[in-house]
Amino acid sequence: MANFVHIPEVKELARKTPIEIFPDPKIAVVLTNQQSGATNTPTIKIGDTVVIGEKIADAKERVSAPMHSPISGTVIKIENAYNSCFETPTEAIYIENDGKKTKGKPLTSITEAELASTKNEDLLKIIREAGIIGLGGAGFPTSVKLAVPADKKIQTLLVNGAEGEPYDTADERIMIERTANLVRGVRVVRKLLGNPAVIVVTKESKTEAVPKLQEAFSKEPNTEVRATHLTYQQGDAAMMQKAILGYETPSGKRSYEMGTIVQNVATINAIANAVFDGEPLISRVTTLNGDVPKPKNLQVKIGTPIKDILSANNVNLSTLDSVVVGGVLMGTALQTPNAPLTKRTSSIICFAKNKTKNVQQTTACIHCGRCVSACPVRLQPIAIYNAVTKGDFAKAEKLCAQDCIVCGTCSYVCPARLPLAYNVKMAKQ
Amino acid sequence: MSNETSNELVVNPAPHIHGSMTKNRMMQYTFIAILAVTLVSTILWSQVTTPSGWNLGLTVALGTLIAVGLAVVIDFLIGKVASDSEVNTWSAAVFGLIVINCFTLGFPEMVVGLETGVPVEAPLAFFYIALITIIGMVVFKKVAGIAGRKLVNPAAAAKMLVLLPTTFTTLITSWHLSTGMLMVPSLAGPIGNPADLLPTGSNGGASFGSYLQGCYGLPGATPGSVESIMLLSKYHGWVGGASSLAVIIAGIALFVIGRKYFKWKITVSYLAAIAVMSLMFSVAFGDADLTTRLLFELFAGSSIFLAFFMATDPATTPYGCIGQIIFGVGLAVLTILIQTFMGFFGGALLALLIMNLLVPVIDKIRINKPFGR
Repeated sequence: MANFVHIPEVKELARKTPIEIFPDPKIAVVLTNQQSGATNTPTIKIGDTVVIGEKIADAKERVSAPMHSPISGTVIKIENAYNSCFETPTEAIYIENDGKKTKGKPLTSITEAELASTKNEDLLKIIREAGIIGLGGAGFPTSVKLAVPADKKIQTLLVNGAEGEPYDTADERIMIERTANLVRGVRVVRKLLGNPAVIVVTKESKTEAVPKLQEAFSKEPNTEVRATHLTYQQGDAAMMQKAILGYETPSGKRSYEMGTIVQNVATINAIANAVFDGEPLISRVTTLNGDVPKPKNLQVKIGTPIKDILSANNVNLSTLDSVVVGGVLMGTALQTPNAPLTKRTSSIICFAKNKTKNVQQTTACIHCGRCVSACPVRLQPIAIYNAVTKGDFAKAEKLCAQDCIVCGTCSYVCPARLPLAYNVKMAKQ
Repeated sequence: MSNETSNELVVNPAPHIHGSMTKNRMMQYTFIAILAVTLVSTILWSQVTTPSGWNLGLTVALGTLIAVGLAVVIDFLIGKVASDSEVNTWSAAVFGLIVINCFTLGFPEMVVGLETGVPVEAPLAFFYIALITIIGMVVFKKVAGIAGRKLVNPAAAAKMLVLLPTTFTTLITSWHLSTGMLMVPSLAGPIGNPADLLPTGSNGGASFGSYLQGCYGLPGATPGSVESIMLLSKYHGWVGGASSLAVIIAGIALFVIGRKYFKWKITVSYLAAIAVMSLMFSVAFGDADLTTRLLFELFAGSSIFLAFFMATDPATTPYGCIGQIIFGVGLAVLTILIQTFMGFFGGALLALLIMNLLVPVIDKIRINKPFGR
C-alpha cells in the first residue's frame, strides 16, 4: 500500500566528487549549542588561547554534548550569532586562527583489539566527550541514544545510508571513501547494543557505494548490506524500520522499544574517529550543491562561516535567492550567509534568484487531497493546517499532528503551495 | 562582523523545493480536456439546424465564447473589487466551459412540433447561458469562496437555480413528466427492447430504446442503433454529452497526465456503481434486455460528462481516498433513484448537489489510521 511520492534525487554531479578538505577558517564561529538537550556554557574566557580539539563548552546534564575548538588560536569574543539549528541567534565563541594548527591532547582512545574488553560505559564516555550528536540532522546526543536500558534487548542495528534528501551526497561519499572506518564504527555500536544483527541500508542508486559496502562488510558476522529502492521519505528512521523490518513503531514509542536502533553513517564515521583515533567532532563532511559552479563534498571545520565556503567556491552571493542548510526538504533557509557551519549542516544548497520565486506563491486550498494521499504517515495535512490556522490546537492533536515526521512531502506536492508542513510542525511544537 | 554582509537571502520555511504541479497547471489541463470535448460536440451538432434556422454547432460555439468570456471577465472584476479574492483566470475559464457543457440543447425528433416540449434555442439560450455563468461565478464560486469554501459545484448549482424555476423545458423532465401524452416509458418498470414499438402495457406506449433513438438521434435521419447513439453521437441533451466516447477519451487522458491530482476514484466508483445498479434494476423490473437501461444510465450526457468533469471538481468533493469512493457510489445511488422514481432525467445534477453538501461529513470518515496507530 505504500505509495510514496518520488522526489528527484539531483545528485548526479555531486555523488561523483571525492571529499575535499576545506581550509581552516581565519575566524571560527563555534556555536555553543548545536545539540538537542541541555544547554552548554563556555568553559573558556575571552582572551584564552585554545588548541585544536580543546573542549570549549559543556554542560553537566546527561543529555548533552560538548563543543571543541576546531582550530588553534585565541578566543576573541563570545556573543550571539545566528544558529541554523534553532533558526535564532544563540551564544557563539569566536576564535581567531593563529595559523599554527597546534593540536591538543587527543581524547582517551582504544585500539581495535581492546574493543571487546572495553566497558560500555567507557565507550559511551568517549562518544560523549567527543561531542558526537546525530549528524543526520536530529542532533540528539549519540552517547544517550546508544545507552539503551539493560532490560531492552536490541535485535537489529539499521545503519542508515539512505541519504534521502535531494542534492545531498556527503553520506554517500563517506560510504565510498571511508568504508573501512564505517566497519570499525559499526563494531563499536554493535558492541554497545549487545551484538544485534546489522543491516546496512542504502539505495540502489548509490552504485559506487554499494559494492564498496558489500565488500567491506562481507567478513562481518551477521551483517547484511541491503541496497534497495527507497524513496526520500523512507530515509526517516520510523519509515526505514517499516520498509526494512516490516513493522510500524506504535505512536509515542521509541525505536529501541521495538528492539531496533537506526544510526546514520556520518555519525558512525564520527564514532570510529573518536573511539579509535581520539578525535573529537570538530569537522564534518557537507555537500555544496544547487546553483553553484561546481558541486562538491567538503570536509569542513565546525564553525566555518558559510559565506567563506561559498566565496572560496566561486559562488556569488548576490546572485542567490536563498541558501539552505541540512537538506532542501527538511532543512533551514539561512537568514544570513554569516551563519557558521554546525554539526548538523549535512549540506549547503544554493538557489539562484528568480528560480524559486514564482512557485513559492501561496494560494488558496482547492481541496484536491493530494497532501492526504502523499503523507507517508497517513495524516491529513490539510485538516491539520486548517485547525492550526484557526488556532484550534486541540483539533490538531486529535488529528495526530504530533505523529508528523516533518518530511515536507505535503508542501512539496501541494498545487496551491500552502506551507502545510510548516503549520503541522508548529502544531507539533 | 555579523552586520557586514547585507542580509538579502530569502527565508521560507521547509521544504525548499516543490513538485511541478500547480493549481494553474491543473486548470490548464482540465481546460484543454473539456475544450476537446466541446469541439467534438460543436462539430457533431453542426449537422443540426433548429426550426428557426440556428445552426446548433454555431450555438455551442457562441455559447462557449459567452460562458468562458463572461467567467474570465467576472473573475477579473471581482479580483479588482475584493482584495481577498484570488484572480484565477484558468479556473474561471474551466467554469465557463463546464457551464456550456452542462447546458441542454437540441431538438429531439419525437417532440418537434409539440408545444410543450420545445427546448430553449438560440438566441434565448445565450441569455440563459450568460445568466448561469454570472450567478455561478458570483454566488457559488466567488462569494462562497470568500466566505470559506465552495459548498456545491458552482455550475451545477447555478444551472439548477436558474432553470428549474423558470423553464422546465430545458430539462428533459417536461416530456418525461407528461409520459401519458408523449408515451415515454418510465424507468420505474420494465423497459422493452428497441425493436419493440408496440405499446407495452401501462408503462408508456413506446419502448425505452426507441424513445432514446427519438430523443438523441440525428433529426431527419434514420436513427442508428441505441448502442451507437449512446456511445458515439447524441444530438440532444447536455452539450458535453454529445459523444460519450470523446468524454471518456478526454477524461482518461486528463487523469493519466495529471495523475494523483485528479479525483479519478470518484469517476470510477460512480460509473461502476451506476453499472451495477442498472443491471440490478433491469433484473428486478424484468427488462426485455440488460443493455438499454445500462446504456442510458451510464452514457446520458448528464451522467458521463458529470462523472468525468463535474463530480471530480476538487473543491466540492472529499479529499480522502475512501471518501472519494463513498462519494462516487453515493452519487450513483442517488442518480439512479432520482431518475427511476422521480422521473427526472438529469438526475445526476441534483444528486451531485446533494452529495456536495455531504462532503464535510464524508471527509470525517477515516479508515486509514495514521502510522503506528
